[in-house]
Amino acid sequence: MKETKPGRDGGVVLPLAGMALGATLAAGLLLGATAARAEDVTLQFWDNQQTESGLSQYQKEAVKRFEAENPGIKVDVTTVPYPEYQQRLLTAVQGGNAPDVSTVDQIWQAAFAEAGAIVPLGDRAKSAGMTESQFFKGAWDSANYKGQLWGIPFNVDVWFFAYTNDALFHAAGVDPASVTTWEGLSAAAPKLTDAAKGKYAIGLFAHKGEDTVVVMDSFIYSNGGSVLDANGKCALDQKPAVDALRYMASLKPYAPRGINNAASGDMRELFLNGSLAMELWPALEQPTLQKTHLDWDFVTGFAPQGKTPVGTYGGWNLVIYKQSKHQDAAWKFIHFLTRPDVNGDVVDLIPANVEAAKTFLQQHRKHPEAIMRHLDNARARPLSPRYLEVSDIEVKLAQDVFSGQDPQAAAKTACAAIDQLASP
Amino acid sequence: MTLAGAATTPIRAPRLRRAWRARGRMTAGDRRLALAFAAPAIILVGVLMYYPMIGTFIESLYSVSFINPHPRFVGFANYARILADPVFAEIVRNSLIWTIGVVALQNGFGFAVALLLNHNLPGQGLMRSLVLLPWVLPGVVAAILWRFMYDPQLGLLNSFLISLGLTQTGIAWLANTATALPAAILAAVWKGFPFSTVVYLAGLQSVDREQIEAATIDGAGPWRRLTAVVLPSMRAVIATNLLITTILTFNYFDMIWVLTRGGPEDATHIFPTRIYELGFGQFRFGEAAVYGVFSILVLAGFVAAFLVVQRRQGETG
Repeated sequence: MKETKPGRDGGVVLPLAGMALGATLAAGLLLGATAARAEDVTLQFWDNQQTESGLSQYQKEAVKRFEAENPGIKVDVTTVPYPEYQQRLLTAVQGGNAPDVSTVDQIWQAAFAEAGAIVPLGDRAKSAGMTESQFFKGAWDSANYKGQLWGIPFNVDVWFFAYTNDALFHAAGVDPASVTTWEGLSAAAPKLTDAAKGKYAIGLFAHKGEDTVVVMDSFIYSNGGSVLDANGKCALDQKPAVDALRYMASLKPYAPRGINNAASGDMRELFLNGSLAMELWPALEQPTLQKTHLDWDFVTGFAPQGKTPVGTYGGWNLVIYKQSKHQDAAWKFIHFLTRPDVNGDVVDLIPANVEAAKTFLQQHRKHPEAIMRHLDNARARPLSPRYLEVSDIEVKLAQDVFSGQDPQAAAKTACAAIDQLASP
Repeated sequence: MTLAGAATTPIRAPRLRRAWRARGRMTAGDRRLALAFAAPAIILVGVLMYYPMIGTFIESLYSVSFINPHPRFVGFANYARILADPVFAEIVRNSLIWTIGVVALQNGFGFAVALLLNHNLPGQGLMRSLVLLPWVLPGVVAAILWRFMYDPQLGLLNSFLISLGLTQTGIAWLANTATALPAAILAAVWKGFPFSTVVYLAGLQSVDREQIEAATIDGAGPWRRLTAVVLPSMRAVIATNLLITTILTFNYFDMIWVLTRGGPEDATHIFPTRIYELGFGQFRFGEAAVYGVFSILVLAGFVAAFLVVQRRQGETG
């Protein structure tokens, strides 16, 4: 005899219905929760702005495209003015409030990696088919530290191009192309200078700033010198570097006064008001000059006769922070930003993706081929977690040289300081 | 209440004694209640002021930088290294020259302007407003203004000197190690003197008119009246103002940072600019903390002096 439980007749359907309802609710809740979780992924992306290009607006438009391609991921873009960027980023990282993704200066990357603030990206890059050949070599090199890839090159530029005010050159009877050699520049400088009338040949600067270092490095590189040798020892006191320093000092009479407190920005003012025949800037200067009525052009730096000018790489890499809870989504965003069809729309320097760079330069810059050659030929600054201290010592070296100290003695002092650093 | 007024109404010693006697009559419940009322303020001061100071001291005992995020205790090794660094001696020297120079000139000039504004001259109201202008300008804006003023090529100062025939070409005031610090001091004095003027003007207006008139009747000239009547009457205001401007000047960051970033060759580096450069410019937090501790000690000395002066004012006032 079957045991009949109370209420069983009418109760078969109800529990089933209840279970179904429960399952439906649970599934709904689960789906809802999943959808809510997906929608909750909001990436914080920080970048800095160095030009007046409206970068923030361009990036926001690109973000809309990314969000359409990647439902469930939102991106908050924070654009910080360049002078404040280092402090804000450092404070955020130290305070545990780092963004998910940000740009970092090439010269900070080793320190960020050494500090354990960012995560290696080699495996992700490999899986995504990203290779060194897709980017400028110097930019790719700057993203590598201790055998690992820590960032993806985002944008690049090269210090320096010598922008020429051709009206002043023609008035002085000097061919602008002649200044590409040190000998030509030395010959042209006196003709382009009339201090009594406030006219100068070249805008030199040696204030406490990184622009001082990259220009000095370029002089040194162009003469075959280095900051550090292959063993990581200071090479600034070697002959090629010392000769370059001596040459730089020889240009002082043809530059505006006050070199040791002058910045590239100060020289820009003089160039724009017609007091200066040449200013030294990266390619990012072109949008500013395009807005002026100056008869301007540029040459790709200076080098001794028979040598090729070598620039110093600058630029920014994209990194993912260890603190980020959305590293997969962050990687998708980095991959998107460095795609050939996107990279050119989201940078105010030059895209680090070579294919994007070619298109960008054709559209936005004068003499794109010359810029590409100079980029291909440029060298990175020393990749060291203590680079900022090396840089500070180099600034002092530049100021010593422009103050009239013997370049050999000044370089020796600088090298002693650099070699004292535990891991330069 | 003017600063001068505030300085002349300290808590008197007898009142303090009465307060202590009253404390003795408080019940345990009253004391708990008083403590409960005072607790938020004590906690706030502790968290906002003393916790960072103690934290800075502890950090100075560790080898800690951005690239070494796991601090290693090194005792006073950071102190030894910094004290042996010639840059430290230069920063101490610069800080002394900077602080003494700015405070002396700012107060001297501020007092002179206050004396002028204390007379019933035509347009006095407008003059008082105009004098305040440098003080109300944001520090960074004032510094940028002076950077333009000192520009070797385009600066107003050089144009003026050239027009007077004092120099043939513009002088690079901020690029020369000999002139950069004096130039920064001058800019800071321009920015800060209205503060001293306002305080001294308030003090001058509280000087007893009858004493001045009596001195005049006795035949005292303007100089004698100033030295024998006005200055003694304003002793408390002057002392307070000197101490406040000393503390503010020692901590003054933005003027020098915008003008020179401490350069050329560290010729204008003072404690605040060096701390910023080490901490945020080079990620060397431990060493920045050592400079911070020295700053705190110096400022503590100033604060102690301030309290001593206040107590003396209380005893004599």
